[in-house]
Amino acid sequence: MGSEIEVAQKIVDEAIKRGFDEAATVVTSSKRVMVKIANSEPTVIQHWTPITIELYLTKDGRVFVGSYEPKSLDELLNGIDRIQRIALKVAESQLYAPLPEPVPVKLAEGLFDTRILKAMDSIDRLSERIIEVAHREEIDSIAGMLQLNYVREALVTSKGTQLSEDKTALQGYVRAFAEPDGSGQWCFTSTKYDVSGLEEMASIAARYAVDSKNRVDIEPGIYDVILSPMVFGNLLEYIVDMTSAFSVLMGLSMFMNNEVGNSVSSEKLTIIDEPRTPELPNASSFDFEGLETYNKPIIEDGVLRTLLHNTKTAKMMDVKSTANAGWIKPNPWNIVVKPGDAKLDEIISSVRRGLLITNNWYTRMQSYVDGLFSTVARDAIFYVENGRIVRPINKIRIADSFLNILKNIEHIGKELYNIQWWEVSTPSKIPYVLIRNIRISKHII
Amino acid sequence: MYEDIVLYALKVAEDLGASYAEVRYHRIDGFGIASRNGSIIAAGTEVNDGIGIRVLVNGALGFSSTNVLDRESIRRAVEDAYRAAYTHSRFMKKPIEFAPAKVGRASYSIIERESFDSMDIDQKTSMHRELWDRVSKSNTEAKVKIFTLNYTEFVEEKVILNTDGAYIRSRIPRLSVFYNIVVSHPQKGSIQRFEQLGGSGGLEQLKQWNVEDTVVEEAKVLEKILTSAIEPPREEIPVIVGSEIVALIVHESCGHPSEADRILGREAAQAGKSFIKPGMIGERIGNKHASVIDDPTIPNSYGFYLYDDEGVSARPRYLYREGIINEFLHNRATAQVFNVNSNAAARAMNYGSEPIVRMANTYLKPGDYSFDELLDDVKLGVYMKSFMEWNIDDERWSQRYVGLEAYLIENGEITKFVRNPVLEVTTRAFYSLIDAVGKNLRFYAGTCGKGEPMQGVPVWFGGPDVRLSKIRLGVA
Repeated sequence: MGSEIEVAQKIVDEAIKRGFDEAATVVTSSKRVMVKIANSEPTVIQHWTPITIELYLTKDGRVFVGSYEPKSLDELLNGIDRIQRIALKVAESQLYAPLPEPVPVKLAEGLFDTRILKAMDSIDRLSERIIEVAHREEIDSIAGMLQLNYVREALVTSKGTQLSEDKTALQGYVRAFAEPDGSGQWCFTSTKYDVSGLEEMASIAARYAVDSKNRVDIEPGIYDVILSPMVFGNLLEYIVDMTSAFSVLMGLSMFMNNEVGNSVSSEKLTIIDEPRTPELPNASSFDFEGLETYNKPIIEDGVLRTLLHNTKTAKMMDVKSTANAGWIKPNPWNIVVKPGDAKLDEIISSVRRGLLITNNWYTRMQSYVDGLFSTVARDAIFYVENGRIVRPINKIRIADSFLNILKNIEHIGKELYNIQWWEVSTPSKIPYVLIRNIRISKHII
Repeated sequence: MYEDIVLYALKVAEDLGASYAEVRYHRIDGFGIASRNGSIIAAGTEVNDGIGIRVLVNGALGFSSTNVLDRESIRRAVEDAYRAAYTHSRFMKKPIEFAPAKVGRASYSIIERESFDSMDIDQKTSMHRELWDRVSKSNTEAKVKIFTLNYTEFVEEKVILNTDGAYIRSRIPRLSVFYNIVVSHPQKGSIQRFEQLGGSGGLEQLKQWNVEDTVVEEAKVLEKILTSAIEPPREEIPVIVGSEIVALIVHESCGHPSEADRILGREAAQAGKSFIKPGMIGERIGNKHASVIDDPTIPNSYGFYLYDDEGVSARPRYLYREGIINEFLHNRATAQVFNVNSNAAARAMNYGSEPIVRMANTYLKPGDYSFDELLDDVKLGVYMKSFMEWNIDDERWSQRYVGLEAYLIENGEITKFVRNPVLEVTTRAFYSLIDAVGKNLRFYAGTCGKGEPMQGVPVWFGGPDVRLSKIRLGVA
C-alpha cells in the first residue's frame, strides 16, 4: 500500500475528489505479540500485524466516521463511495464543527524503544522469567498475560495536517494462586522494555496470593477502605471517562450536574491527563484532529478544572479544545494521580477499622448521572484494625457513589504504580489511597 | 469468497508440520447511525476483513491474523503462528490436544425478510427524530433530559477450513438498537435506563420490537418511579424476579461458570475461574425448577450459528437440568481434557481473534405459571422487572442485581413502585429459592465479553418470570 502517511494522504485526496468537504484519516500499522498464561504455562501465543484505518468525512455539516481493517485500499475506497451515495440523505450533525487548521506539533520523545521490537521474536524468554519470578513465593500457579506492541500511526487531514509517530508498549498482568484460597493480582505497563517492572508485578501478585490464604467472612457495613492502585485506577477510569464532554452530552456522566470550577472531590486529589508522559503507552503528540497535545489537570486540589474536549464538544460548550480528539468522543490519554506524601505503611497505620482492597472487577452503574455504582472486590482483601493488617477476608463489594469516593479521600500514597490491565484500559500512574466511610455490601444468602 | 487464500494458508501450515491447523476468513460489514435527542451525531461504517490462523505445534497453540491477503503476507502470518507455538511448546506441562470431532462441510445463511437496503437512509435517519418527538412528549412532571439511540446493522461472513476436513461457509445479518433514557425532575433527581434490542435477520425485526411504543412506555415508567417510588420492605418476602433479570442471571451464574476453559483455569487472570470444578457434573446446584439451556440454533437469535468456528455442528446444551449440573460448554481442546465430544461452543469475535469457549443463547426453561398465578399467593412481596446495576464475582457465585422498574406486591396485586431494591445472592441460593416459574419465555440481546484481547460476541439471554420463595432485599 505504501507508507502510512502516503496511504493516509491518498485516502484523504480520494475522499475530497468524491465531493466531501473535509476528510481526516488515521492509518495505523502495528505488530503485536501476546502470550496468555494459565496454570503457569502458555495457553496460546497470538500474533497480529493489522493495518487499521480510521476515517472521518463531512459534507454540508453531516458527519461520517468509518473504522476499517480492509484487505485492500480499493475496498476502503468502495466504503467511501458507499458513504458518498448516502451522504446527503443523513441529517446534519448537531455536533459538527470544522476540522482545525494545522498547528505546529512538537513530537514527544521517548515513545519508542527498539528493544521491544527486538524482543518480539523471543517473548518466550519473558514468559519464562515471569513464571519463574512469581514462583519464588510459595504459590501454586499463575495466570496472566504478556504483550509487546509496536505501532506506527499516521494522521492526515484535508486541512493539510500530516503527522506520524512510532510507539512501543510492554504490558502484562499476573494473577497468582496459593492454596487453599489465596490469590493476588498485579499489572505493569510501559513504553520501555522494562523487565524489572514485569518482575515486580509478578512478585507483588505472588506476595498478595500468599498473604491472603485462609480468608474469613466480615459483616457488610461502613468501613474505611484503602484502595490499591489497581482498584483506584479502575474507579478513576470510569470517573475520568465521565469528564469527557461527550459523556456529559450523552447522559453518561455525573458531571452533568457539576460545572467546571466546582469542588467535586477532596482537595487532596489532583488527576492529570498526561499525553506527554513518555513512559505511558497512550502518550501521543497529537490528537485525531491534529492539535498538539498537552498535560492538563482534570481535577486539581479537588476542583473540576476542565472537561475533555475535541473541537466539536468545545464549540458546543463554547470553550477551546483540550486536544483530546477522538473525532466524535474526546478521551483521556494517560491518567496520572499527583502523588501524596504517605507510605502504604503510614496509610494502614491511620485506619482504626477498615479494609485494604487490592483488586476489583465488574464496576457497574445504577445511574451514571448520579454516579451510583457497585464493584466486586477480588483477590487479596485484608481486614485492618488499629493500624495493622489483621487477616485476609472473603469477597465483598463496594456499593456507594463516585462522589462519595472522591469526597472522602483522606490519604494519597507517595508511590505511583503503572497500571493497565483488563479492568483499566487507559494507562495510568496511580497510588494507594485511603477513603473514609465507604459502604461495603455482600450477598446475604 | 477467498477460498483459495484460505486453502493456501492451510497448506503452508501443514507443510510447516503443524499437527492441526485452522484458517478462518472472517468479514464483518457494519453500518450505524447515532443520535442524541433526535439529532444525528454521526453515521458510521465498519469493515473488519481478514483471516485468522490457528496452529497446534508440539502441544502448544499459536494464533496469528492478517488483513493483507497476498500470499507472501499470509505465509508470514502462518509462520508467525507456527514459530510462536513452537518456541513456547517447551513450557507445556500438559500438551494441548483436540478431541476427535465429526466436522461439517456445509454452507448456510440467514435470509433477511426485509433487507437492510429496503429502507432508505433518510427513513433510518428520521426514525431517530420521530422517536425523540414521541419520547420527549411522554412525560408531564419530569423531563426526558437525554435520549440517545444507536442503530446498527451488520453482516458477518465466514469461511472456515481446518486440517480435519471442516469446510463451513456462513452469512449472518444482524440488527441492533440500543438506547439510553435519562429522566430528570428538579426536586426528585434523575433516573436512567439502558436497553438493547437485537437479533439475526433483517429490518422485519424493527416491527417486532415496536421500539416507538416501548420507549414511550419506558419514559413514563421512569417518571413514575422517580416521583412515587418507596423503599422496598426490609423483611424476608417472596420476590418475583422479572424475565429480564432472570435472563441475565442464567447467563452470568450458569452459562459463564459452565464454560470448560474457565473451569480449567484458562481465563483465570481475566474473567476468572468458576465455582464449578472439573468433577462436579451431576452435583446439585438448585431445585427442580433450575433447568438452563444454551442453544445456538434458535432461529433469528442474536447468538445464532449452526457450526462453531472449529467446524463442529451446533446443538442445544443442557447446562443445568432440574437443578443438577449437567453439561459444560466445550471446544475441542477442553472436550479432550474431559473425554467428551465438543458441543460446538468455539466462537471468535472477528478475524483477529482466536476461537474460545462462548455461550450463544442461554435461557431458563419456562414453567407453567401465568404472571397472575405467580402473584396470586403473595401477601407482601416485590416484583423486580428490570435492572441497571449488576455484577458477579469471578467464580460466578456471589451476584448483585439492582432493580430499576420494581413494584410492591400486596395481597396478590401490584400496587406501588419501589426504588432500587437489591437482590444480592449466591448462585446456589437463587436456583434453590425458585418456587414457581412463568410460562412466557422472553429473550434479550447483549454483547458478551471474554478473552484477551477482549472479544465481544452477540448473544441472547432468556427466561420467564420466576418467583423466589423468601428472601431479604437490600436497597441501593
